[in-house]
Amino acid sequence: MCDLTKEMVYDAISTVIDPEVGFNLVEMGLIYDVIIDENCNVHVVMTLSTQGCPLHQMITTWVKEAVERIEGVGEVEVEVVWEPAWNISMADEHVKNTLNGL
Amino acid sequence: MKQISSDFAPPLKLIAPFFKFGVIYYLLAMLTLLFFKPDFVYAQTDVAGWVHLFLLGFVMMIIFGAMAQLVPVVLEAGHAVVDVYYVIMPLLAVGTVVMVAGFWITPVLLPYGGLLVLIAMIIFAIENFATLKKTALKTLTVSTVKWSNAYLLLGILTGFAIALGLAGSLSIDVGLMLKAHVYAVLGGYVVLTIIGLSLILVPMFSLAHGFDETSINRAFKLVIGSAGTVFLGALFGWESMMYIGYTVTILGILFYLHQIYILATLTVRKEMDIWAKSMIFAYGSLIVSLLLGALYFLLGRESVLHASVWFLLMGFIASMITGHLYKIVPFLVWFERFAPLVGKKKIPMLHEMYSKEGASVFFWFNASGVVLGGIGLLFESDIWFKAGASFLFAGALFLMVTMQKMLSYGSDEDTSTEA
Repeated sequence: MCDLTKEMVYDAISTVIDPEVGFNLVEMGLIYDVIIDENCNVHVVMTLSTQGCPLHQMITTWVKEAVERIEGVGEVEVEVVWEPAWNISMADEHVKNTLNGL
Repeated sequence: MKQISSDFAPPLKLIAPFFKFGVIYYLLAMLTLLFFKPDFVYAQTDVAGWVHLFLLGFVMMIIFGAMAQLVPVVLEAGHAVVDVYYVIMPLLAVGTVVMVAGFWITPVLLPYGGLLVLIAMIIFAIENFATLKKTALKTLTVSTVKWSNAYLLLGILTGFAIALGLAGSLSIDVGLMLKAHVYAVLGGYVVLTIIGLSLILVPMFSLAHGFDETSINRAFKLVIGSAGTVFLGALFGWESMMYIGYTVTILGILFYLHQIYILATLTVRKEMDIWAKSMIFAYGSLIVSLLLGALYFLLGRESVLHASVWFLLMGFIASMITGHLYKIVPFLVWFERFAPLVGKKKIPMLHEMYSKEGASVFFWFNASGVVLGGIGLLFESDIWFKAGASFLFAGALFLMVTMQKMLSYGSDEDTSTEA
């Protein structure tokens, strides 16, 4: 039986910050799903704000490392998808307001 | 999973010299501008010397450095031989100085400088073509990289022929060859490259998404076709063909501006940082340049053409480049010095890595200088032109200081991965 919850994984990923915009990946709405199996293996489905992002590999590595720091976690896999494409409506309200200068 | 571009990122020590030298040449170009008068003819060798200092020493130097970083991002493939950039930089830096000395001191030096620049650019273009062979992508941006490099080769070959002609080693019509050279380099390489890169960079920095790319596709095709049309027209002395090419280029740029307008309406980030201000000024200058270009065709006054080219070079191209420097350089430094420390210690955000005050002073001096200098050229007023040049030189000093600070940011940082 695995005690790991999605919230614990999201909390761990929220320590990863996009250095360009200054927000974490969770509040940016870049994490689409977290799947945890009975052995505590974690599969993160995420996207990036742009396909040409030069930090592509680094960001996925940071996400993997952040989740691996959770106690009791098994194998961690990070999958980057482009469908649905990210847009600002997926971000938290405070992110939208800050980017819009409100 | 999609191919990963950061695997192929070249080291900072390879790219930084392009930016350092590019900014030094920019400062020298702005300094020497103080000694020019606004009434000149474009074929004057001292003017040609300044144009080469600006275009080779600043524009090409920065574009080459940026391309070393961005080609893998655009093509999603690693460089074929990234180490050639260690050779390209000194060849271009020395070749530029020798060429400028050829224009300003003795034309005997022109073929030597031209040869060094030719070698640098041929290496650059061949490495780009070799990298292009590694990509599986078939996008229009990839096709633009191919076309722009082909025009770069044509431009430098015609330029070298001109250098031999001016030195008396080759019997050619320098006037016709000059037009072919200018159009292949400016229209075929610089403008195409800027259009191609801005399609990647503007949405990336503005977070604009879900936009229609019809206009930019049309812009690419029209500019690619028109650069070739003008090049052939100039080479064979077919003036009507050249005018058709000019008109199609303008149409292409209008489609490009329409695409930028679409991106602007979808921009998520509203912050008016140095990048955003520079983009607004650059595109405003491009519109002014187009309007003055149209006015030149109606009035036929040379001073109007000079002002149009001024706003294109100093207002559009230079502002596009300097605005992006404040995004690209902090990223490169951050990637090299701080990325390994993520999750281990507190690290800076990209916008914290440059002086906002210094960048702002640079922007306002630069923008004022472009406007004043443009007015000076338009009305052939020495005092307005000198005022513009003074502002530009003062701005260039701030650019150099802020650039140096960006490049040295965190250079004493302990990048060991221990917590």
